[in-house]
Amino acid sequence: MTSGLAVESLTVRYGGLVAVDDVSLEAPTGRITGLIGPNGAGKTTLFNASNGLVRPASGRVRLDGRDITRLPLARRAQLGLGRSFQRIELFNSLSVRQNVELGREGVLAGSMPWRQLFSRRSEQRTVAAAADEALVVCGLETFADRPAGALSTGNRRLVELARILAGGFHMLLLDEPSSGLDDRESERFGAILTHVVREREIGILLVEHHMELVLSVCHYLYVLDFGKLLFEGTPQDAVRSEVVRAAYLGTAA
Amino acid sequence: MRTLRRRVRALLPYLVLGLVSGSIYGLTAMGLVLTYKTTGVFNFAHGAVATGAAYLFYELDAKRGLPWPIALALAVALIALLGGPLMEAIGSRLRRVPVATQVVATIGLLLAIQGIVVAIFGAVAMPFPAFLSSRTVRLPGVFVGIDQIVVFGVAAVLAVGLFVFFRSSRTGLSMQAVVDNPDLVGLRGTSAVRVRTVAWMVGLATAALSGVLLGPSVGLNAPFLTLLVVQAFGAAAVGGFASLPLVYVGGLLLGVAAAIAQKYVPGHQFLEGVPSSLPFAFLLAMMLIAPGRLARRTTGGRVPPPPARPLPPVVRRFGPVVVVGLAAAVPAVVGTKLPIYAGGAAYVVLFASLALLVRTSGQASLCHAGFAAVGASSFSHFTHGAGLPWALGLILAGLVAVPVGALVAIPAIRLSGIYLALGTFGFGVLLQQLVYRTHFMFGRSGPLPVPRPAGLDGDVAFYYVILTIAVLTCLVIAVLTRQRLGRLLHALADSPLALGAQGVDVNVTRVLVFCISAFFAAIAGALLAALSGSVDVAPFDPFQSLLYLVVLAVAGSGQLRAPVVAAALLAVVPAYIAGSDTLATYEPVVFGLSAVAIALAEGSRGELSALVRRGAERGRARIARGPAAARLERAT
Ligand SMILES: Nc1ncnc2c1ncn2[C@@H]1O[C@H](COP(=O)(O)OP(=O)(O)OP(=O)(O)O)[C@@H](O)[C@H]1O
Ligand SMILES: [Mg+2]
Repeated sequence: MTSGLAVESLTVRYGGLVAVDDVSLEAPTGRITGLIGPNGAGKTTLFNASNGLVRPASGRVRLDGRDITRLPLARRAQLGLGRSFQRIELFNSLSVRQNVELGREGVLAGSMPWRQLFSRRSEQRTVAAAADEALVVCGLETFADRPAGALSTGNRRLVELARILAGGFHMLLLDEPSSGLDDRESERFGAILTHVVREREIGILLVEHHMELVLSVCHYLYVLDFGKLLFEGTPQDAVRSEVVRAAYLGTAA
Repeated sequence: MRTLRRRVRALLPYLVLGLVSGSIYGLTAMGLVLTYKTTGVFNFAHGAVATGAAYLFYELDAKRGLPWPIALALAVALIALLGGPLMEAIGSRLRRVPVATQVVATIGLLLAIQGIVVAIFGAVAMPFPAFLSSRTVRLPGVFVGIDQIVVFGVAAVLAVGLFVFFRSSRTGLSMQAVVDNPDLVGLRGTSAVRVRTVAWMVGLATAALSGVLLGPSVGLNAPFLTLLVVQAFGAAAVGGFASLPLVYVGGLLLGVAAAIAQKYVPGHQFLEGVPSSLPFAFLLAMMLIAPGRLARRTTGGRVPPPPARPLPPVVRRFGPVVVVGLAAAVPAVVGTKLPIYAGGAAYVVLFASLALLVRTSGQASLCHAGFAAVGASSFSHFTHGAGLPWALGLILAGLVAVPVGALVAIPAIRLSGIYLALGTFGFGVLLQQLVYRTHFMFGRSGPLPVPRPAGLDGDVAFYYVILTIAVLTCLVIAVLTRQRLGRLLHALADSPLALGAQGVDVNVTRVLVFCISAFFAAIAGALLAALSGSVDVAPFDPFQSLLYLVVLAVAGSGQLRAPVVAAALLAVVPAYIAGSDTLATYEPVVFGLSAVAIALAEGSRGELSALVRRGAERGRARIARGPAAARLERAT
């Protein structure tokens, strides 16, 4: 049993539409696993089923070998599963620093009423330290006191990443984190991802349309099309694969 | 067999009654859903429009002597044709503000319309001119009034007509497209504006017509007609706020169920509140059966809330001290007006608890009067009834409201935005209809006596008691919001999704804040009751919850500043304005219109700054590349 995320024969239906069709994949810690596919392939739906936002029709989701298929969103996060959103979800009226601090504060607050009411002094130090580190890793120190709602898309993506990094999760689901970023920004984004995976031994499952980024940071790739798994293998094999070209790379590259 | 037959036969007149009112509910509900879905703005004032129309008809028909068909056509046409474009102008701004502000604005409209009607025609219900023939005809097993047949027929034909219009006309089809795909709400362009204006006109026309059609059976009864919006959303809930035919069926069901319940009410006191609580039963059932249909709407495209403008540090540091100091000096200055200030201090507690919920956590709560009622009545039971010490009784009264708060939070778990507002308002009405009159609360034997603390029962001493409790409440809330809970609540208001994904069980957070808020609201209710010496149901009417929300919105920003200002606006200021008796009738109008104005200003903010920005860019382009370049830029 490896640590990380494993999806087993997962199927998600929306009414008559099968958005994810019997998909199995593994995203172990210590590496970046790519999940690519054309628009509407079911990538976001797979994320939603993995972290508890939609209920799968069948199949299992495991985190570190533990079955988490039926656990609610917050419980999965408490077990170490972090998530970013395709349509960035920030606390817009709060400052960048407060956003990032809430990354750790959220995990500490958890599900118990009294834990949500007050924090201990030691926890406040942990929160500040985690936020400081995440801000530095993402290069956001200079923006720390700006309201998160007022930043550019690129920086908002970074704030979301910093918030997740501050949370101390060991498995991250990142949904198109580079969309809305220019080439230089996504290169920097890729460097941050590679850095944290190496430093913290965490795992990342990365959904991305930006092929250069995918090919440069991912160790392993899954390709999804119309809800079905089309291909899995190394990025090099993917580029050479006829099916993948036909379904995806041909149109995107 | 025979007895069954007789029973059914005995029910028939009620069935007829139910179908008639149900047909009107269905039509109103269709109009409400149509405008809500097409324009993205839920109009709490839908029923108030019905009220306005009924009174307008009364004015034209009974007072001015116009023949009823002309009076009817004139009333409906005036409201639809003038109201449509006006509501589109208001609605297009409201679409850009947070749902909570939207709710406040249309509630403000409700209060304003109802307030104006009451100011002109008085608060006493009046008989409505019976404009249709009340002769009866015999149908198998039952006598039916001609007026009943006409009303049912008109409503049914219009409902079908509305449905056909929606399905086949161009405008109707464009509306359908928006209903099916909410992302299309708020599209720009003239055709979108036209479609939305038509949607408003249709909605307003159904409301106006319902008001006039209901008139003969309910009379000129402003609160009742205004609550037609409640019947409408009960019916809308049956149709999942989407399917028009089902919405109409929902209206019929609601009407019939209420009429049949009416039959059994005499002799069963506990059933008294059932007819008026049915819409909420429908809504709650819908929530439990098909929560997905009432799913959270996207809030995309909204302007983020304005960053709170912090006060200068000196004011922030010493402001509270100065306010408390002034409040402490009040008894020496105000003379006989002291009880008014004592009431103001109690309202600070109430508004502080409301602000915690509405402002900090971004959840609409429309049952604060209910929490206060629970506190006031149980405080009387604990002190006067059980003889407990005053302070202990006060804390217990607060604690009694905690499970009630938790109960209200259940809709908060499943619903947000507009549906949460409806759900909590519904809970408030349920509480009033089903529980206020039980012996757990106020009972039926007149006002409950409520004592003041022994030895501190003089006006001055008791003023200081309330002031102390108000200051303590503010301190507790200030500490809570500076602690972890405060940070979680601010985050919850911005993105519950992100907060949940960070590991916070947001349902626990929601229940928690409702419980805390209910606790303090109950304390406020108990204090107000003790101040007047006795208490009955009147001050805790569910409409009061609407007024509280609107007054808080008018009171500006600030976790504690707004509650203090709101309390002053509601309780103290009116006592200083000459002729405050006539003022009292205009109070809801003033607060209501102010709330609308504030929401509109907020909704226009983006517009104004965009205008300024465009102007500046154009200016820059002209300077940099000459006027031709600027024109080119504008063209592309
Ligand atoms: N809430 C929903 N209800 C119904 N259908 C949905 C819902 N969410 C997604 N779908 C459908 O499920 C399919 C998969 O959508 P999904 O968002 O998972 O794709 P995706 O791979 O993330 O696409 P993209 O690259 O555009 O983000 C699509 O056909 C989409 O229309
Ligand atoms: Mg997606």
